[in-house]
Amino acid sequence: MVDFALSDEQELLRDTARSMFTRECPPSLVRDACYDVTPDGPATARSFHATHLSEWSALGDGPLVDLALFLEESGVVLAPGPLWVTASWALPLLRAAGHPDADAVAEGTLSATVAVADAAGVWEPGDHDECWFVPHLDQVDRVVFLRSGPSVLVVDADGLDSAPIEALDRTRPLWRVRVPAGTAVPVESGAVRDALDRATVGLAAELVGVGRWLQESTLAYVAEREQFGKPVGSFQGLQWKLVDASLHQERAAAAVAYAAMCVDADDDDRSSAVHVAKAAAGGAARHWARTGLQAHGGIGYTWEHDLHLRLRRAYGGDHLLGDADWHRDQLAGLLLD
Amino acid sequence: MRLSWDPESEAFRAEIAAFLDEHTPEQLRDGRDWIGEEADEVPGWARDWQALLFDSGWMIPAYPPELGGRNATPLQTLVYQEELAARGVPRSVHFGGYGIVGPSLLEFGNEEQRALAPAAIRGDTVWCVGMSEPDAGSDLGSLSTRAELDGDSFVVNGQKVWTSYAEWAERCFLYVRTDPSAPKHKGISVLILDMDTPGVEVRPLRHITGNAEFAEVFLVDAVVPRSNLVGELDNGWRITMGSLAHERGGLWLEGVGYAQRALDGLVTLVRDRGLAADPVVRRRIGELHEEVRSIRALGYKGFASFAQGSSAPEHSYMKLAASELRQRLNEFGMDLQGAYATVTDPELAAQGGRFQAAWQVSLAATIGGGTSEVQRNIVANRVLGLPRG
Repeated sequence: MVDFALSDEQELLRDTARSMFTRECPPSLVRDACYDVTPDGPATARSFHATHLSEWSALGDGPLVDLALFLEESGVVLAPGPLWVTASWALPLLRAAGHPDADAVAEGTLSATVAVADAAGVWEPGDHDECWFVPHLDQVDRVVFLRSGPSVLVVDADGLDSAPIEALDRTRPLWRVRVPAGTAVPVESGAVRDALDRATVGLAAELVGVGRWLQESTLAYVAEREQFGKPVGSFQGLQWKLVDASLHQERAAAAVAYAAMCVDADDDDRSSAVHVAKAAAGGAARHWARTGLQAHGGIGYTWEHDLHLRLRRAYGGDHLLGDADWHRDQLAGLLLD
Repeated sequence: MRLSWDPESEAFRAEIAAFLDEHTPEQLRDGRDWIGEEADEVPGWARDWQALLFDSGWMIPAYPPELGGRNATPLQTLVYQEELAARGVPRSVHFGGYGIVGPSLLEFGNEEQRALAPAAIRGDTVWCVGMSEPDAGSDLGSLSTRAELDGDSFVVNGQKVWTSYAEWAERCFLYVRTDPSAPKHKGISVLILDMDTPGVEVRPLRHITGNAEFAEVFLVDAVVPRSNLVGELDNGWRITMGSLAHERGGLWLEGVGYAQRALDGLVTLVRDRGLAADPVVRRRIGELHEEVRSIRALGYKGFASFAQGSSAPEHSYMKLAASELRQRLNEFGMDLQGAYATVTDPELAAQGGRFQAAWQVSLAATIGGGTSEVQRNIVANRVLGLPRG
């Protein structure tokens, strides 16, 4: 038995986030913050985070249910900046390590990212010399290197030996970075696991937001766009595709909320719920990206249309922290091993 | 948002769980998902079970005791549905009487007709529901069985098909056309038909599984007293919508409980067949688990809206999602058995031939009660607001 009803506070949080993003994060700003599109992209993203998002970092200390509600809204507008990695992943790791910067991160005066994957893209703590797929490195103040043990090494983001990875998603920069010298502080493996669960569900929530934008935009477009003398959305062949993608989206949204509840309660079903959430959310966002592109026809394939920004985030987000198939394999492990 | 409800609901759960553990008939235990037996009448154990549920206030908990309930709240009703679904225990082996006829009589019938409801719900009177016709399936509104008013009686001519339990039934809740000149949804009425009326002939209709739960009902000049009209003349279409409104928030639980049991069976089957290390099999198991669990979450999310009195768009997806998933689960259960997939002998096939049997039954799930295609049209128009074609 699960109660999905939002409390008054949760509704207020969602509505506040929604109106803030509508007001402050128009599509033009997202474009300005794109990498490889405008030279000012990184500066715009940093400034947006500092002005509008950093104060929300404290959500990383609270219930994951609340953070997930916020990240879903940020995914809808494709909000620039490192809030997801700072609040859902770096902050709990800093707390686990008892690091003195944790308070400043929660207060929003510092931001941080996490470096864990190796060149093979395995998201497990190790002792490799170089970390790959480090998100938002150029937008943060601190880098939390997750090392074997497990242990964490927290360093200043400035002055690291790093290089950008040319990436599909123009709104989420990925970096490779050489691990600097320094003493790593041991942390409980349970805390590392907890932080990874929070980051995974947070990313899944953001993907639900990406799917929602694709769904809403596509439904509006097919009601308006006419061919053969009627709206293309009246054709059954297209309607059924939209229904199937919407079902996928609905179950992803429900699975993410459920996983957040399970993590908050440290429920027995927690591991399964987290894998289900990321698999469903990654799958649904991709499903909507494909379906939305097809339904938009030629206009959706243009650089000028915002759809490709979501298509990039949908596929990019699915492949971070394990894609849908990887999470399905983990589920099989829980059931069969 | 939270993972459990109040202690009162949990106490209620303990009560129904204890009742089910103690009283569920042998024939309905172990999630056997009863699929219909060859029998000339409702088996005695099934009659006793339904009567016991009614007399104990566990037949339709939201109803008052005189109607087989205990005035349960929406939340308690959901708890009750969860416990039935988790065990795969049906309340009755014929859904029509308690699921459609009883509630519809209570909502639309006159005093005399409402008095028929308790026996319909308790299963003392077995009812069938005459809706579909050879030319009125998904397009039910085009039904053409004709009832002409002649003095104080209707004279009924026509044919019904896919009529469940017609062979067992003493009465039929019959949808007829009373005004052929009106637009198709306007000229429909509902009559109570005694099945032993002269001119009523029932022919069993064997389906894919080999069982004959369905029947065709032929009506030739069958005379029905005017007093057997339910609700107003020519205004019967709205009665098609009448069913267990109290339980609508948790109807999906049965499909999800079924899917979870099937998945549990698949996990056992994968191990027994030595396929637990096969990467393709593992991926498929993970994918099915993802579907079962996310669909379950969607059902609960919809219940939150239902419990607050709002519409629950989530639930418009549930029949579509659960019925297609049910087929995939059972088909995979056959695929895992290699050549034994073709074997239906319960002594030879894995798990007593469960997947072979359940697969055949599941083929009806995407057709009966609104085809998947009709479900998609409903979601497209009513939930997504897409323009009608």
